[in-house]
Amino acid sequence: MEKLVYRHNRITRTTHWVNALALVILVMSGFQIFNAHPHLYWGSTSEPDQAFLSIAAANDGGEVRGFFRIYGWQLDTTGVLGVQNTEMGPAPRAFPSWLTIPGYFWLAGGRRWHFFFAWIFALNGVLYLIYNIANGHLRKFLLTPKDTARVPAMVLYYFRIRKKSPQEGEYNPLQKMAYTSVFLFLTPLIMLSGMAMSPQLDAAFHWLPAMFGGRQSARSIHFILTFLFVGFTFGHVFMVLATGILNNMRSIVTGWYKETGSDVPEPAWLQDSKEEMIQKPSGVPLSHQLLVPELEEIPPAQETHQNHTDAPQPDNGISKSPPNDVQISPESSKQTSPTHNNEVKKDIVE
Amino acid sequence: MNRSRRNLLLGAVQGAGLLMLSGCEKAFNSLQQNKKFLSLLESAEGANQRLQRLLTGKNKLAQEFTEQDISRYFKPNGNPPPITMEYIADAKNNWQAWRLEIAGLVKQPAQFSLSELRSMPSRTQITRHDCVEGWSAIAKWKGVPLTEIMQRVQPGSEAKYVVFHCMDTDDSGAHYYESIDFRDANHPQTILAYEMNDRAVPVEHGAPLRLRIETQLGYKHAKYIRRIEFVASYEKIAAGKGGYWEDQGYEWYAGI
Repeated sequence: MEKLVYRHNRITRTTHWVNALALVILVMSGFQIFNAHPHLYWGSTSEPDQAFLSIAAANDGGEVRGFFRIYGWQLDTTGVLGVQNTEMGPAPRAFPSWLTIPGYFWLAGGRRWHFFFAWIFALNGVLYLIYNIANGHLRKFLLTPKDTARVPAMVLYYFRIRKKSPQEGEYNPLQKMAYTSVFLFLTPLIMLSGMAMSPQLDAAFHWLPAMFGGRQSARSIHFILTFLFVGFTFGHVFMVLATGILNNMRSIVTGWYKETGSDVPEPAWLQDSKEEMIQKPSGVPLSHQLLVPELEEIPPAQETHQNHTDAPQPDNGISKSPPNDVQISPESSKQTSPTHNNEVKKDIVE
Repeated sequence: MNRSRRNLLLGAVQGAGLLMLSGCEKAFNSLQQNKKFLSLLESAEGANQRLQRLLTGKNKLAQEFTEQDISRYFKPNGNPPPITMEYIADAKNNWQAWRLEIAGLVKQPAQFSLSELRSMPSRTQITRHDCVEGWSAIAKWKGVPLTEIMQRVQPGSEAKYVVFHCMDTDDSGAHYYESIDFRDANHPQTILAYEMNDRAVPVEHGAPLRLRIETQLGYKHAKYIRRIEFVASYEKIAAGKGGYWEDQGYEWYAGI
């Protein structure tokens, strides 16, 4: 049983792609900037012998070898990091040209790209934030103490050790943890550590470099946080691939996501809250829109199992307070899906 | 799926990936050469300048450090020291023949010897130098505040920028120069430094006189200063972007 639901509205989709583009450019132009001095330090200054991380080139008996070194542990990375093999022969270059913007060594150009897209990233983020605070969506994926307690259960569920998902609401505890840490931790810190490298801002706000332990520490943290962002993005893309690339891509490009009826149905309150999200699709021709609400009401869940791993919790802030761990029998699940068509688009005005 | 088909598929995916990457690289590089797009990218500079100056207010002092914080190593960056006969002779002669010329839109054009500059009120500061490349080094600088010079020469009301003409040149013979505006020129930590770490500024760090402008990146800190010119616009100087590195694409506003 399948139906299309309108999952992502225009603002969500636009900010998502602007953000994706800005992040890619920020990372690649950031590598260009890093290449100008491919060493990292802790503290205010950069004594050459105090670098804790270097991606550089060394002359090894007449041969130029690239290396990655962290706290004295060294790896030969010739061809990828430190030294790139070009048509002109080996070229010393921390990150290879295909990972940098511009694709040749030009620090000034890298800075121009970086600072322009830093503005795009920030303004786009502000737009997203304002919109999602205004429509109340933000609290749906902010991690609450209750969610934190459910993270281990969610991990067990992912590894198929636990059968039932501890998910409540639209996002599961691990998703909430990922999004919340990106919003409340990663994004502010990467912006602040970037600003802490500005001598003008440092002059007015001495606490700015100090909160990271000095300007060079801020630079190092800026670099490390970049890889947390990259890691998050890889995780995000992996989940997109693992949960159906075509359907996911359709939903983030057009807004429409195909939901497939599964053996384990979603609890009634989750259905309700999803339908709240369904908005009047502006781009869908009238002929494709169903004027009559098609979904049948789901009978209230009868069977509730008190799960022993989760303590009973009070209202978690979601407007419809759900019963804990609702299980609906397969019989009742059949009623939840409309039997007479495959595509149900609800025409609910926001 | 048999092995050859899988290999074919893998190869296709790899090829597509490489094509995409090199396509991206080409696209980025051609965008980079597009004048309109470049000026769009460059619009961030004005935004940064306005926002940062709005946020920071005037005359906020950059952090000053202690003697213990002074870096053991301070990279002498940029052009090699000047090798003109005049510079070498002046250096040998302890800069007795060297003069700092002040010219342009000023009511009292002047020339100052190093000893005259040393006799003016001075400022000593232990500050962090931030290079555009990413490194930082702390040193102690002593010099005459630029405001002291400005009081003596009295810039005219049309003057908007202070241009520092330097003695060092690059491989092609182009002279180094830099420009700052009056907001930064009036900053208390903007000094013409003649001492570094309690000694005369060494040749590799810009002897006999270099600029310290602590709210800006290193390339603004002109070394080997010979002449200071007050101008209404820097568009007619060299390539017209207000500085040696600015002419090569770096931002005039180097506060970030």
